[in-house]
Amino acid sequence: MLSGDLLVEARQRAGISQADLGRRSRVAPSLIGRYERYEVIPTFERLRHLISACGLELSFRLAAADASRHDEVLIERELQRTPAERLRRGLEAGRAFRSLAGPERGGG
Amino acid sequence: MRSAPSPGPSVAEADPLEILRTLERHGVRYVLIGAAAARVAGAPVVTEDVDVTPAADAVNLERLAAALRDLGARLRSAGEPEGASFSIEAEMLRTAGMWTLTTRAGDLDLCFAPSGTRGYDDLRRGASRLLVGKSLNVAVASLRDVIRSKEAAGRAKDLAQLPLLRRTLEQIRKSERE
Repeated sequence: MLSGDLLVEARQRAGISQADLGRRSRVAPSLIGRYERYEVIPTFERLRHLISACGLELSFRLAAADASRHDEVLIERELQRTPAERLRRGLEAGRAFRSLAGPERGGG
Repeated sequence: MRSAPSPGPSVAEADPLEILRTLERHGVRYVLIGAAAARVAGAPVVTEDVDVTPAADAVNLERLAAALRDLGARLRSAGEPEGASFSIEAEMLRTAGMWTLTTRAGDLDLCFAPSGTRGYDDLRRGASRLLVGKSLNVAVASLRDVIRSKEAAGRAKDLAQLPLLRRTLEQIRKSERE
């Protein structure tokens, strides 16, 4: 769960401060700060309430778990590389895909 | 009115890092955003061009215009593979929030206020200056801000990337707590 990051994202999209959100939600701004820093993990319902106070809705769905851990392995591997290596490899892959897409500047 | 010569790089010749080097050389203040920023953060996404959010003050727009002339920037156009020439001046850059360009080093998108953000100053707060190439340090938007922007943009291509970006952020947070 990415509760702290979701909360910051919602608050920033609404363009409001922790104090503003505190007034709207009737939750202490200091506690909101602790949620955002993962010092305290809010309940699911509390998180929905705070996001709703930002004028947004937390949508969700149930999906089958990926038993192969496909994405997780890719991410783990990527995180072991330096930022420069990550970008170089990402651009090389993009270039390769673009070459496959069509002649020269095709592919958009 | 100054315009640039035709750039027209082939796929093999395109070098997006050269775009960043040129922006740095001209002292342009900007934040790297989009898929390239997500890739730098560790998300296994593919990227082929460079998206940046420049600061919109007058001095920076002059520097940006100089860098774009250096890069031979032209407007990307479906009907003109080499791009269309335009007047690369600071005043001209001020007239639009989004510029999709092609340069001698590859494609470059300028977006002064990506969806869900308030532009350079907003993104700079969460950005980190990172080494992304040989002797090339650039300001890179945080993964959280890339997600915020893609979520707000709501385009199919952005939404398709979100699960992977959120999962990457989750793994980063998990490793930070361990």
